[in-house]
Amino acid sequence: MVLTEHTHKAFDADLQELSRMIAEMGGLAERQIGDAIDALNRHDAVLSQSIIAEDSKIDLLQREIEEKAILTIARRQPMAIDLRDIVGALRVSNDLERIGDLAKNIAKRVMVLDGELNLQKVMRGVEHMTELVLTQIKDVLDAYSRRDVTKALQVWRGDEEVDAVNNSLFRELLTYMMEDPRNISVCIHLLFCAKNIERMGDHATNIAETIYYMVEGRPLPDERPKGDNTSTTRVPFRL
Amino acid sequence: MNSMDTANTAIAPPVPVAGKDAEPHGKLAEKVLVRNLDFYYGDHRALKTVNVPLYDRKVTAFIGPSGCGKSTLLRILNRIYDLYPNQRAEGEVLLDGHNIIEPGQDLNLLRARIGMVFQKPTPFPMSIYENIAFGIRLYEKLPRAELDQRVESALRRAAIWDEAKDKLQANGLSLSGGQQQRLCIARTVAIKPEVILLDEPCSALDPISTAKIEELIDELKDDYTIAIVTHNMQQAARVSDYTAFMYLGELVEFDTTSKMFTTPTDRRTQDYITGRFG
Repeated sequence: MVLTEHTHKAFDADLQELSRMIAEMGGLAERQIGDAIDALNRHDAVLSQSIIAEDSKIDLLQREIEEKAILTIARRQPMAIDLRDIVGALRVSNDLERIGDLAKNIAKRVMVLDGELNLQKVMRGVEHMTELVLTQIKDVLDAYSRRDVTKALQVWRGDEEVDAVNNSLFRELLTYMMEDPRNISVCIHLLFCAKNIERMGDHATNIAETIYYMVEGRPLPDERPKGDNTSTTRVPFRL
Repeated sequence: MNSMDTANTAIAPPVPVAGKDAEPHGKLAEKVLVRNLDFYYGDHRALKTVNVPLYDRKVTAFIGPSGCGKSTLLRILNRIYDLYPNQRAEGEVLLDGHNIIEPGQDLNLLRARIGMVFQKPTPFPMSIYENIAFGIRLYEKLPRAELDQRVESALRRAAIWDEAKDKLQANGLSLSGGQQQRLCIARTVAIKPEVILLDEPCSALDPISTAKIEELIDELKDDYTIAIVTHNMQQAARVSDYTAFMYLGELVEFDTTSKMFTTPTDRRTQDYITGRFG
């Protein structure tokens, strides 16, 4: 829906600036995820260090968005769609900040992973999952900038696929650990990496829910279809 | 939904929403019910088929740009317009089911039941005490002691007793603007009306006086049905249970205040409350 301008134009500028900051934050978060997976794949210590350092930029942006949002509320006393827009920006920035933290956590694990195990096959799974999540995040940020509920709902429903890949990775890593206890350390770290990526997907669905709220003025009515069943998965010891 | 649909369906009870205003609408009694009301200043049609309820012991806020008809509507409710020539109302305004627009009303009695407070404080040029006692004497003959009591209780009710009790014989006009406005509310309350109409009661007041009046509205709604016209959107959001948005003489949307200020249905309501009106 295209809204007409506010009588007081500076209010429009405030809201646009908030949206722009979210877009910037989203761009940074996307790059961090891509870099984290590259670093993991190549055992790139230098890259992982720079990811850890870059995270502070995302944190800083989140604080700036928070300040800007609070100031705008105090100054403009927004109502209805404007109020939801600002509350939405606050929520989305929280999700993006968490996504940044999760990428940083993957980068930290790069240092401890050494190539005991032939990781190529597992890494393909992790990369596939990352691609899925990155697409989810890109789509949801796109939906945010255009306030596109249909697209947001696609992302919201798409999370099931991410969960499915996570489940199969989980089972695979469990079997490697059973095969040879020397794999355990590496596999545990990879499990956490996979879990981190899966959580990023959850944050993408949170953002989708926020977009729905911003546009429609009510929370999404349904419970999201949840596909993550790793917490109840068991693999028999003898295969 | 076109504009006429909105206007004509506004009377239908809105769907209750979660929150402090949420109440089953079935329980709400309509103290005043405006039905198909048209109003004319000479040839100019200032209200167009307005339908709106004032629920018993609830605060209903009327918002809308200048000239939208909200003050006109208030002026009809206690027939102040009767004082002017060439002004006429058509339709129904039911007070407890009785149409007060019909000729042959006892207007003094009507105005005792439906009190009004105006934008600018209008104390009479007499003592604070007399400002209150004057109205009471019009309707009741009370012994002095009882009258004193009624004056005190009205001043207390309007939260101005503490400031006025030591100077009841001082001229009402010697009070500050905020105090004068509370004196006017006390004067209205003194004759025990059933409905109180407030026409921008805070527009000439500072924030502290405004807060006092708003606090007062909160307290008064336990006993009275209140309608308030305000240009201050935040004030409408703060003090009212229901909000009606009017535009160009039409009632565009009526709903619980929590709904109107978070997710209004009509595009024009949203544009107005978010400051986008062209």
